[in-house]
Amino acid sequence: MNKVITINLGGNAYQLEEGGYDALRAYLESAAARLQGNPDRDEILSDIERAIAEKFLALLAANKTVVVTKEVAAVLAEMGPIEADPGEAAAPGASGTSGAGEPGAAGEERAAGRGGPPRRLYRIHEGAMIAGVCNGIAAYGNVDPTFVRLAFVILTMLWGSGLLVYVVMAIVVPEARSPEEKAAASGDPATAQEFIRRAKEGYYEAMKGFPDRKARREWKRRFKRDMRANADQWRHNWHCYWAEHVPFHPGMGALPLLSLLQGAVKVLWICALISLLATGAVFGLTLPENVPVWVAALVLVMAYGILACPLKAARRACYRGMGRPRWVWSFVFVLDAVVWLAVAAALLWLAAHYFPELREAVGSIPSLAHQAADDIRSGWKGK
Amino acid sequence: MSVNEKFSAIRKGLLEFLLLQIIAADKVYVADILKQLSATEFATQEGTLYPLLSKMRREGLLDYEWKESEAGPPRKYYELTEKGREQLRETLEYWGKINGTVKKLGQK
Repeated sequence: MNKVITINLGGNAYQLEEGGYDALRAYLESAAARLQGNPDRDEILSDIERAIAEKFLALLAANKTVVVTKEVAAVLAEMGPIEADPGEAAAPGASGTSGAGEPGAAGEERAAGRGGPPRRLYRIHEGAMIAGVCNGIAAYGNVDPTFVRLAFVILTMLWGSGLLVYVVMAIVVPEARSPEEKAAASGDPATAQEFIRRAKEGYYEAMKGFPDRKARREWKRRFKRDMRANADQWRHNWHCYWAEHVPFHPGMGALPLLSLLQGAVKVLWICALISLLATGAVFGLTLPENVPVWVAALVLVMAYGILACPLKAARRACYRGMGRPRWVWSFVFVLDAVVWLAVAAALLWLAAHYFPELREAVGSIPSLAHQAADDIRSGWKGK
Repeated sequence: MSVNEKFSAIRKGLLEFLLLQIIAADKVYVADILKQLSATEFATQEGTLYPLLSKMRREGLLDYEWKESEAGPPRKYYELTEKGREQLRETLEYWGKINGTVKKLGQK
């Protein structure tokens, strides 16, 4: 009888006999050591993990779920030892490309390589609200995405630049698709050591509830199918709702109306935010003593998000319902744009004439941010 | 240094050239490359190929795209860049010259 260890290789779970696991770990550790200083070290390591995963997969079948020690050894022998500097030994003159020609530079690069994988800015789709821009920035800067979103919202509200920056970034910044890119987005190493560490921590504890590979697959498939069915059902309900409750074609008159509604909600929200920042009270309701202003501002932002969400969804549904004839729609779009411009102009006018506190509020943002940072820091230390 | 070791140095130097040629013909992933090489003197292993491919990508000779496989992890399919194609052309030319020189020298 042999102990079996579950690991994650290239995104799939595999069960290895303990001896095989030790051999695999030794192989990957020696590969990592040999690639020390190679700028593509983490990428090569995850390439190798995926290659091993494919070979394991070929060994398994419905009635064979564990890779035994002998098979692991055979796979590793097939992989062969990692050659650290391919081709460079044969062509010493042509190795200047990596910029590590001088011994000093090579040493520095090695030191930098040990510090962790390079971090890159990507859009991250998991847990994203729109296109994953804020999520990506948050992962890049290692901060909570809510704060990044808040910053974008405030930028959009105050100067409108947040929206522009967001749109540009949504277009320009690539989305993290592959495991490497996702790892590079947050700076987590995508190496086997990391996976093994997670496996050890019981990261895949839940998977052990499905000792049978077939049952596990079946469960995964059913879960995916159910999720898809839910989404379809929701979409269907939405369409039925529009067909029954809206006498005209959704969008024709609804789009500008929705814009107006959204604008009104936005005006209300901005008034509330300004009065909160300027006087510490929202519509006459004073804050309790122990609640900091930034928490209240966060709650306001969230409340606005919740309120505006159905309106936004409805607007999106209108846009999606776009059909023939085209000229009617372009008219509706122009009307929509005019409504938006009017709302924006009204906001500016309101701000300039009735809210001398606005400038004060803008001025108080840096100190507010400092306060928020201090609160978080002290809260963190308190833990 | 035995004869075999000398040959191994030559093979090592030529591997990059052969990879350029294989990838120029078709979009391939590593198992395809290994299969094509396995029947030749240049039979090699993943442990050699992955570092070499990533070095060539760093030099801008090739690029890859991800493709999902039916079962198992996604695969990287490699293809040559413009620079890679140029290098292949130059290498082929150079290889032709060397071949000519090898044949010509020593003949009387």
